[in-house]
Amino acid sequence: MSATGQSGRAGRASRADDAGRAGRADDAGRASRADGRRLSHADVGALQAALAAEQAAAYGYGVVGSHLSGTQAESATADWVTHQAAADKLDGLLAAGGATGGPAGVAYQLPGAVHTAAQAAALAATLEDQVTSAYLDVVARGSRDLRMLGAQQARAAALRAARWRGTTVAFPGLPAIGH
Amino acid sequence: MPADPTRRVVLAASAALPLLVAGCRGTQVLGTPPQPSAAVRHLRAAIAAEQSMVARYQRVLALLADGRAADGGGPAARATLAGLLAEHQDHLRQLRSRLIPGSPQAAGAGPLPVPSVTGVPTAPRQAISYLGAAEQAASDRLLGEVLQVPPSLAQLFASISASEATHVPVLAATEVTQ
Repeated sequence: MSATGQSGRAGRASRADDAGRAGRADDAGRASRADGRRLSHADVGALQAALAAEQAAAYGYGVVGSHLSGTQAESATADWVTHQAAADKLDGLLAAGGATGGPAGVAYQLPGAVHTAAQAAALAATLEDQVTSAYLDVVARGSRDLRMLGAQQARAAALRAARWRGTTVAFPGLPAIGH
Repeated sequence: MPADPTRRVVLAASAALPLLVAGCRGTQVLGTPPQPSAAVRHLRAAIAAEQSMVARYQRVLALLADGRAADGGGPAARATLAGLLAEHQDHLRQLRSRLIPGSPQAAGAGPLPVPSVTGVPTAPRQAISYLGAAEQAASDRLLGEVLQVPPSLAQLFASISASEATHVPVLAATEVTQ
């Protein structure tokens, strides 16, 4: 497992939000099209943000895994693979819709220092929270076609977040409601 | 929250629904909402389902607390269940807040049904398994509902569906011996 493996696709340094905005396909009022299916501008924006969150998570799991051992390291590797696959899927959806997701960043700003296994697990949970929120944004902003994808992926990310954190929350991905 | 359950209610389609995820810019992204009556119907069904989940947890917690079960529940199991119950109560409160009383558009709303919970096993281990199965079913049901309601309510349904899914492994790992 290696963060540099995935970030090597990128030709430039980028923060996660830069990657999310990069490559927006249409500058006119048109929506993107693919196989007769339209991607609205809201779809493209939400999918690009989800892709950026997936890429940031894939990068972050490289850091997470390097501080873990045993079954925890295996979990981190499995989750890293999951995020890579999800990023590829979003890339494909955007490409099929005539948009691009932008390259993954070389390095991402992590929310905190990671020196211990506990900090690594906390980072993994935070990364999953961000992925959950991004997919819930797809549910709220995206077209009906994308809503189920968003809801399923949000649920999967929330399950991983709860596993890493060891606790559950009432509103995964919607921190503003919970407090 | 409707204090009088016979008062008419309507879905808070946009005014009371903050778009909570960064990047949302306002009501124009909500699109055209479905007929209020249909959305209200789905919301009321979600409220009824949450009420049933709350009732199930209360039933099982009462079972564990009163010592009827031979092998007992154990304080740790009761604390775990109480925590999950609190999250369901949060779900219920949030779902109820999406109903606005007094609107003329919510024809046929009527009082919300009182949940009836049957078939709760009396042995703690089986009762907790029963809760796990109920959580999974509730999560799956809400996930299927995201296509039936306006986007902002779909977002809430998706989050609650995710929360209920996270309860399943917690229940599976809950030890019931003293």
